Amino acid sequence: MIDIMLFLCVLAGATWLVADGTTKLGYNWQWYRVPRYIFTFENGRFTAGPLLDGLKVTLEITGAGFVLSFTIGLVTALCRLSGSVLARVVSRAYLEIIRNTPLLVQLFFIYFVLSPIFDLSRFFSAVLALSLFEGAYASEIFRAGIVSIHKGQWEAAHSLGLSAWDSYRWIILPQAVRRVLPPLTSQAVSLVKDSALVSTIAVYDLTMRGQEIIAETYLAFELWFTIAAIYLTVTVALSSVVALMEKRIRVAT
Amino acid sequence: MTDRGSEDYIITVDRVNKVFPNGVHALRDFSIQVRRREVLVVIGPSGSGKSTFLRCLNGLEEIESGSIVVDGIPLDDRKENRLEIRKEVGMVFQSFNLFPHLTVLDNINLAQILVRGKSKKEATETSMALLRKVGIPEKARTFPNHLSGGQQQRVAIARALAMMPKVMLFDEATSALDPEMIGEVLDVMKTLAAEGMTMVVVTHEMGFAREVSDWMVFMESGTIVEKGTAEKLFTNPDQERTREFLSQIL
Repeated sequence: MIDIMLFLCVLAGATWLVADGTTKLGYNWQWYRVPRYIFTFENGRFTAGPLLDGLKVTLEITGAGFVLSFTIGLVTALCRLSGSVLARVVSRAYLEIIRNTPLLVQLFFIYFVLSPIFDLSRFFSAVLALSLFEGAYASEIFRAGIVSIHKGQWEAAHSLGLSAWDSYRWIILPQAVRRVLPPLTSQAVSLVKDSALVSTIAVYDLTMRGQEIIAETYLAFELWFTIAAIYLTVTVALSSVVALMEKRIRVAT
Repeated sequence: MTDRGSEDYIITVDRVNKVFPNGVHALRDFSIQVRRREVLVVIGPSGSGKSTFLRCLNGLEEIESGSIVVDGIPLDDRKENRLEIRKEVGMVFQSFNLFPHLTVLDNINLAQILVRGKSKKEATETSMALLRKVGIPEKARTFPNHLSGGQQQRVAIARALAMMPKVMLFDEATSALDPEMIGEVLDVMKTLAAEGMTMVVVTHEMGFAREVSDWMVFMESGTIVEKGTAEKLFTNPDQERTREFLSQIL
């Protein structure tokens, strides 16, 4: 109870500070102009505004990014744990390069250097850059999950005559993935957030659309609040879905 | 003599050495032979190498030197041989090692389907028959975590048997169980022995050893101190060390 009171006090304080600050700036709030950029509803017809169009692109990029980055992450993790020296060296090199250079530089490198060479689309360059980046972190999560599975599980699988591949596929990975679902979710949330960077290569995602509207209307405060709220909705929804999935898995075993 | 002799032996271990990375010399020039349908019980103090010996038999541990031949297949660097031996050798662990994300039935079905190439229906028939044999057919759809230790270990035995192995290895199968559950697992093992399964059993259950074993070995520091029938080892061992060890645990 006291916690809630305290929270409300802090919230009120923060709101007051912002309100007070903007008044001193003489900012003229025009929230009524924002909704039309999200969607319009006229004559019973729903039309998505530029922000929703941008959200669609953001979701497409992150959706493709999830699949690609988790694939890259899993393959890299398996390479790092494999008996082959070459696979270990290559995967390690990939990991170090990605983790020790800025994502923005990777994005520019792929878009300005690789995409002309390999004729990649803008959209695919964006997905590739994000996936390579998040995949490096995802691989560490997968690796941690795999090595956390008790040695006895491997031994039981081996003693039954299962090959290394079958052991991974049916015994180790199903358990490892369940165990790393929470950190994997944080990684997915990062992917959603980092996808805002693709606006720098003129992919018309949510952030890019926002900038465009602001350039026309100067509604900077209202729109950045709105855009942040939309990102927040997406990430919170994502976390909730995963939390629900986790609960169901726990009930099943 | 050599020809007929080697046919008789399903397991031949010849001068095997095993040194762990931490420098522990677990097996020293270890040699042993086991005939078909025999029950061999291995005893010895902890760290004597008895578990290592079992784990070497199906390639869970690499050996430094010597040779192991199981059912005519040499356990060497070739992966196919290793997998082939593992198909023929079932193993039961102290800590059960059931797959927690699979139901009891799926635990037993899995390797039949993946390794033996059975259909799901065939596998399920075998699995249910084995569950009836170990006395818990009603637990088929349960997850392992909902079973008692004794029930889990019986499932683990059924899982190993589902591969129709020619040899069963038991690595202190009852050591992690509460006393009141040891009996139910030992009963299953006794049934197997009576049916003529070749078994190598590492155990501290001297009653079981006395009742079921064809012969026993007493190991210490990676070598065999003494071997012979249970009767001989329990009543009149040749080695003073054997007498000392048995008097401590009996």
